[in-house]
Amino acid sequence: MTTDVLKSDVAQVAISLRGISKKYKHFELKNVSFEMEQGTVAGLIGPNGAGKSTCMRIMMGLVQPEKGEVSVLGQKISSHEAQAKQEIGFFSDDMRLYKPEALGWHMQFVRSLFPTWDDVYAKQLLQRFGLLEEQQIKGLSHGQRVKAMLLLILARKPKLLILDEPTNGLDPVAKHEILSELMRVVEDDQRTILFSSHNTQDVEKICDSITFIDRGVVVGSRPRDEFLERWRRIRVTADEGWRLPALPGLKLDSQLRSLRVLITDRFTDELRGQLLNSGAQIESIETMSLEEIFVNAVMRGREGDM
Amino acid sequence: MNLQAIKILFLKDLFLCRRYLFGYSAAALASVLFTVAPDPTISYIGFLLMITVAIASGIHMIGVLLLGEAIDQTRLFVMSLPVSLLDYSIGKISVVLATYLIPWSTMFALTLIGTFVLPDAQVGKVVLIPAIFLFLFASFLLQLAVAVVSESIGITICVMVAGNVLLNVFLMKITALPEVKAVMNGDQVLWPSAIVWTIGVELLFIVVALAVSFWYQTRTRDLV
Repeated sequence: MTTDVLKSDVAQVAISLRGISKKYKHFELKNVSFEMEQGTVAGLIGPNGAGKSTCMRIMMGLVQPEKGEVSVLGQKISSHEAQAKQEIGFFSDDMRLYKPEALGWHMQFVRSLFPTWDDVYAKQLLQRFGLLEEQQIKGLSHGQRVKAMLLLILARKPKLLILDEPTNGLDPVAKHEILSELMRVVEDDQRTILFSSHNTQDVEKICDSITFIDRGVVVGSRPRDEFLERWRRIRVTADEGWRLPALPGLKLDSQLRSLRVLITDRFTDELRGQLLNSGAQIESIETMSLEEIFVNAVMRGREGDM
Repeated sequence: MNLQAIKILFLKDLFLCRRYLFGYSAAALASVLFTVAPDPTISYIGFLLMITVAIASGIHMIGVLLLGEAIDQTRLFVMSLPVSLLDYSIGKISVVLATYLIPWSTMFALTLIGTFVLPDAQVGKVVLIPAIFLFLFASFLLQLAVAVVSESIGITICVMVAGNVLLNVFLMKITALPEVKAVMNGDQVLWPSAIVWTIGVELLFIVVALAVSFWYQTRTRDLV
């Protein structure tokens, strides 16, 4: 009985990173742990050079960590790399196709490696993305190239999609087309998507949970709505001698004469009461956008506060 | 190891370099035809062309198939597919070897045959042919090993240039040996010990260079 429960728990975890460390000359991934359940859509947000791509390449077995364990779809990536990749669709902004060959040639090549390849779906994607099989890769624009790669990934019907900055550098129309297609994929409850970006708006549209990463360290990881519920900007007025109560997660963001702007990542009604008891008058309590939360989470992480 | 995946990767690379392969094979064939021409100047041009094809095809295929995939970032695409590092390494090194060996073996085999078949050919010189061709192959494998380890086209070209210089030194030295000189102009195939030793050392070098290439490639920790 216990064994069965454990097996089912393992099967539900799509990605598990435990204590991952990787050192480069000018960058280090430090003790990163991350878990993602099957059937969810997670966003990995971080500034440029935060370690998002390194994490994703470690998940794919393309980069070997110095410490830690990685398992994807219940398989240890270090020993079952090829089997695991049979069910993963990986996209990276750095990835390139063979320029002299046509998209149709790439489709045939990928199809030969994936028994799950869906020809009908591939044709639908060609139409939706406005691509032609006979188009040579070297003649494609950046947006078309991204769409071509996503077509090659989606048509093989992977259980897990690992997408490293897929919307980077896209025009609004191309971005909309790609996000719409991903939304369609998300409708299938069994599909899991990990989506990285430094653009919080793209992530906010499709992700259920979000992980913030900065300078090789995870600085926050929660369901998206929980982030939005917990973070607040509170404007208070108080006398000159007023002192900020020492409450967990509460920080002074700025001050202009008697007006003080506070930011908390642990907002509750109790906090409101504690502020009033401290002698401050609450002018407003505002929700924060994911981008504001991201910036603040990163800055707090850099201060070693989270 | 997934043989089906290795085969697909191998055929993919063979297809991608089909035009170069056809060009080098045609040039190889032309070089042999020139070499057997009665005019000594054309024959010498044929010999130079043969050496050039052997050197140029090697460095070009290493550049296009091995280093090019890293430079063009197509390796990230290939490695995102269900292939292991071992599958990739075997497929890659095999196809680089195959694309080199097609023109190389064409030249080697036709030169050997020509030496026996053509009426004016000096049969005694036949002992030099395997020594020279194995030198070229060993030099190519050294470039391959250096390319795998360094992933640098610059360093690999330096090794190619060094190999080219050494080939000339090798030809001068081996043909100047009295025991080799003695059999070269004869009408019988005799194997002087210097040639036998040279071929033995070349074969050993080939095995070591190939082993180093496979060993290093399959142990690379970060492919992208």
